[in-house]
Amino acid sequence: MNNSVVVKNVYKKYKMHTKPSEKILDLLLPKGYGEDFYALQNISFTAEKGDVIGLVGVNGSGKSTLSNIIAGVIPPTTGSIHTVGQASLIAIASGLNNQLTGRENIELKCLMLGFSKKEIKELEPEIIEFADIGKFIDQPVKKYSSGMKSRLGFAISVTVDPDILIIDEALSVGDQAFAQKSKNKMMEFKKKGKTIFFVSHSMGQVKEFCEKVMWLEYGEIKDYGPVEKVLPEYEAFLKKYKAMTKEEQKKFREEVMKKQSGIDPKLVK
Amino acid sequence: MKTMFRVIKEQIDSFYLIRRLSLFEMKSANSNNYLGMLWELLNPMIQLSIYWVVFGMGIRGGREVGDIPFVLWLITGMVVWFFMHTSIMEGSKSIYSRINFIAKMSFPMSVIPTYVIFSKFYAHLMLVGVVTIILQFTDYSISVYFIQLPYFMFCAIVFLVSLSLITSTLSTIIRDVQMVVQSAVRMLLYLTPLLWVPAGMFATIMKFNPIYYIVEGYRASLLGQGWYITDHPALTLYFWGFVLLMLLIGSSLHVKFRDRFVDYL
Repeated sequence: MNNSVVVKNVYKKYKMHTKPSEKILDLLLPKGYGEDFYALQNISFTAEKGDVIGLVGVNGSGKSTLSNIIAGVIPPTTGSIHTVGQASLIAIASGLNNQLTGRENIELKCLMLGFSKKEIKELEPEIIEFADIGKFIDQPVKKYSSGMKSRLGFAISVTVDPDILIIDEALSVGDQAFAQKSKNKMMEFKKKGKTIFFVSHSMGQVKEFCEKVMWLEYGEIKDYGPVEKVLPEYEAFLKKYKAMTKEEQKKFREEVMKKQSGIDPKLVK
Repeated sequence: MKTMFRVIKEQIDSFYLIRRLSLFEMKSANSNNYLGMLWELLNPMIQLSIYWVVFGMGIRGGREVGDIPFVLWLITGMVVWFFMHTSIMEGSKSIYSRINFIAKMSFPMSVIPTYVIFSKFYAHLMLVGVVTIILQFTDYSISVYFIQLPYFMFCAIVFLVSLSLITSTLSTIIRDVQMVVQSAVRMLLYLTPLLWVPAGMFATIMKFNPIYYIVEGYRASLLGQGWYITDHPALTLYFWGFVLLMLLIGSSLHVKFRDRFVDYL
């Protein structure tokens, strides 16, 4: 068994409410109330150990929702996810406690991930070195710049050595030097045979790291395969999309909305 | 029943985590103030003095409660009320205010209200220490009945954890519950013998409030008024029955909804 992540028929449905009264109705009525919105529809795929998968797609195509679901942060509405080992999500707004200092945050986060006091003591210098924020480590996180915050978050998440790493546009905030350092770390992970999911709008970065690409469109997998095959298709689509007139773009979006409201007859169970 | 044992087991298994997390919680709550932790003592002291003036000197005219001076009666009851008050309030907020930070972590959610309550417990211990020292200078110095106190502390914690399991779940789903809790707690202050001494029918009705048992238990232990647990077996049974029921409801509610807490944000 070399499978690291197996996702089967995952749907994520949200209810859209415009008024508080609709929310109450939704809670009270057995069938719920409100317009459906499918952030993800019928997602099934398998990732093997050592895969580096780029998640691409236009805004609102479900990239972040999917990465949150793989990380186990949010549950799917239906379907199943099976992950081997610990998954770690790195997002720009990674959960740091603003009142506590960087050092305390390291301790707190490691603690929550289930490390013992001794292990935390061993990890701490490594994290501090990787984050490279100097004296600020003993300052409250609220005084950090956004780059410092994401560096610290990234440093914690990679140092705890997860089996599955999900990077949600977190590399875009650091400067060149840090980006290089992160890349090296990711290459190291790649060599160790860990699975990495990489969400990015930068085609260059995706090309550089990833072996496989998953192209999401209105919550569905449009294509999933090797970089050489999928990425040119996606780039071609982007070009076409950009070249569309305003009316065409509007039409496209409306179609997307219709599809995501679950009107598609396949979805009616 | 099964879910209740599961939640209890989660609490016991994560006890180390609860202790560590509660310390961080306390640190981050007080890091903005220059006096820091000291406020956990100063705040109650200021409140107590105003209650003493208004209810003791003003309304009661300085009369004693039984043979206990009002000020001592007030302090010994209020010492546990401060703990209950902040814990009920913070406990019901605990999940929805922390879920963003915590959702990415790998530990049972049922621990969240517990560690928040524990973070309030340290200040409570300090306050009890101060009150005990004050009592040494009165006619009510420490007695053998003091050893009941840990039992009543345990009662208070179990009561708070069970209640917070219910309120934290409900307030995550419907934020308005927090407002209900807030008004209910304000009412409870007067429905428990804390500021005024109930007489007649009120005295009987108040016994149905489970906090009555805890408050009176604290008084009995601190002021050396007898073995409260065995002196009032009916109240003891009623209290534990009540707590058990809350724990049963709380854990089944919590387990039913916890996977979807993030969706309610």
